[in-house]
Amino acid sequence: MLAMAAVLLSVATILITWSVMGGFLKTLISSGRTLVGDVAIVWPNVGFAHYDDLIERLEADELIDSASPTIETFGLIRLPDDRVELISIKGIEASSYSDVTGFVDTMWWKPIDEPTPKDYEGDDIRLQPENISMFTDMEASGISMTRLNPSSGKVEAAGVLGIEVTGQNYRTKWGGYYPLAPNRAMPDGGVERIETFMPRDGEVELTILALDSSGHPIDPVRRVIPIANEFQSGLYEVDQGTIFVPLDIIQRMLRLDAAERVELVRDDQNPFEIVVDPETGEIGPKMKEVIGVVPARVTTVLVRGVDGAELEAVRSRIRAVYAEFADAHVGEVPSAFQMENQIKTWEDLNRTMISAVKKETGLVLFIFGIVSFTTVFLVLAIFWSMATEKTKDIGVLRALGASTPGIAWLWIRYGASIGIVGSVTGTAVGYWVVLNINSIHDWMGRTFGLVIWDPRQYYFVEIPSEVEPIKAAIVFVIGILTCVVGASIPAIHSARMDPVKALRFE
Amino acid sequence: MSMQTQTNKAESAVQTEPILSVRGVHKTYKLGRVKVPVLHGVDMDVHQGEWVTILGASGSGKSTLLHLLGGLDRPDKNPDKNADKNGGSQVSVQFEDRELTRLSKRALDRYRADDVGFVFQFYHLLPELSVLQNVTIGGMIKHGRFGYRSNRKEIVDRASGLLDRFGLSHRLKHRPAELSGGERQRVAIARALINEPSLLLADEPTGNLDVKTGASILDVIIELRRDAGLTLVMVTHDDRIAQQGDRVIRLVDGRVNEA
Repeated sequence: MLAMAAVLLSVATILITWSVMGGFLKTLISSGRTLVGDVAIVWPNVGFAHYDDLIERLEADELIDSASPTIETFGLIRLPDDRVELISIKGIEASSYSDVTGFVDTMWWKPIDEPTPKDYEGDDIRLQPENISMFTDMEASGISMTRLNPSSGKVEAAGVLGIEVTGQNYRTKWGGYYPLAPNRAMPDGGVERIETFMPRDGEVELTILALDSSGHPIDPVRRVIPIANEFQSGLYEVDQGTIFVPLDIIQRMLRLDAAERVELVRDDQNPFEIVVDPETGEIGPKMKEVIGVVPARVTTVLVRGVDGAELEAVRSRIRAVYAEFADAHVGEVPSAFQMENQIKTWEDLNRTMISAVKKETGLVLFIFGIVSFTTVFLVLAIFWSMATEKTKDIGVLRALGASTPGIAWLWIRYGASIGIVGSVTGTAVGYWVVLNINSIHDWMGRTFGLVIWDPRQYYFVEIPSEVEPIKAAIVFVIGILTCVVGASIPAIHSARMDPVKALRFE
Repeated sequence: MSMQTQTNKAESAVQTEPILSVRGVHKTYKLGRVKVPVLHGVDMDVHQGEWVTILGASGSGKSTLLHLLGGLDRPDKNPDKNADKNGGSQVSVQFEDRELTRLSKRALDRYRADDVGFVFQFYHLLPELSVLQNVTIGGMIKHGRFGYRSNRKEIVDRASGLLDRFGLSHRLKHRPAELSGGERQRVAIARALINEPSLLLADEPTGNLDVKTGASILDVIIELRRDAGLTLVMVTHDDRIAQQGDRVIRLVDGRVNEA
């Protein structure tokens, strides 16, 4: 019973740990992929031109489903309570970005289609009937990245902010958010309460340092951005430090938009030549002449492969398409050679995070594996003790004609039986615990006040609760082998016992 | 038992071929660094259907000799390397036409399972098993796991029959701890007989029993021998029991002194 209990516990422990940590990694990877797509073509800061042509070429490929231009940069954000924080700014085209990524699904302020028990338990404000209409509008605003200005009556371009950026959204223990009204310090020493709900009337001020085409900084550019909605990707680092802004706005701020190429004019023959401004009608001396157009640029093109396409196959196809694209725009875009290492899969982009969690999972499994390996010694000690106790019985069996392998097989079979029963029950217990881990956790919280997985501190609302059959099978087999290995040494010892000495054993 | 009866019995036994023949058997045990010689060249024959009693003081090598006869142990090589030249005998333990000293481990296992039944002084029943299981386990060992399945009914019927004959039919499902000493020894005898051996080796089967119970066990053995024609080698230090056999072999200082 003791050996069986040891096997049961170690099998269940390993299965639970492996499943939860594996589920954690899987969810993390899935969240990391949500806002990246499959592959990104990145030329940071200064960006590259003719991206429309590149996207057209990419979307013509059978392995590629869609592509979207984006700009990724950093800037400062002034929040409603006057805090200024560093923020990652992503300029996107809402429509194409949604095609490539799961952007639409990350929108937080929207009616809940399929409420979970936790949503009801936490009385999520998105479930309240009086708010449904408002949240429906906010969802549409977020997807289109626009917001109606109540004072002007005009629809303005707007941004979508990470749900954790402002600190105005209190995360409940059920994993939902409750908007708070922050306080702002006044110059006279008083405190002003800001009755702002970001997707309704909130706005932020972005400050970006623009670069020229050679990568040198120009003047900082500031702009107030209304907020259409807030998003939750599931990755805290992303949710607390990212804002999505319409691509054209960021292009203008960074001076990556299309511009006229001009040349200073100095006509020695007619220094008094004048021109009339077509917009204002003002008359002035002719100082410059338009000699061409500099195309708009983006820093990144995100690509989504067709369903089922191998990631590496998609990347290799993108490299081929980019090579053709670069040949078509020699001197205007980075060469294929320069881009060789700049075409990155979503795994490359999240490598730091994924490898950290993978190593953490491996380390935890290793530690639990070592702990569980002691089961081998426990079984060995128990069987050794049993074999010693049964020495005389072994002598009797030998006297009755039992062979050496027969005696060994008897113990090994006994060990295997214990392993099978322990592994079956351990796997069943492990399965049950993992499948009900959130209910068990909630019960522990209610009964003992023990909250290990607090959604306010972790990325995910719920503990991953999925068991992969292959993992269960591996743990099951290892559980049996543990017992067989543990029983083998006493088995060999028993089998090699001198029957006469065994019969005389006291 | 009169001297005349004893002589007649001995004569009748001598007329049959020896089923078991022992020549020049030596055995020395090591207790740490100390060598303890137990048998010093034992020669003896046991005939088909004969009841031979080995009599001797404690430590005279009676049980050791019984273990050698039963193939539980192997004799030492003859310490006299020139035994042939000196007229001594080569070491030999022969059962029917098989030389036990030359049998492989597996063959010795088969010999014990098929041809020999052991009865011990302290019964040596397996405490976790029921009375019936203690008897059928011999059949299980002989036939193997799969063979036992196909012969299960036959083995169980025989075990039940033996236990019924020994007056234990109402004890089939009891554990050994629930039985008296005499009952346990009867179970042990039934176990020894489950595979219908031709040779029964009994190591002081009544040594742990009171006189009355011991006598009843002897009656059982005598009855079995008579009915089944068993060859019986019994070790005892009780002279009265020894005299009931066909022939008495006295072991003195590891050598045979046949009565």
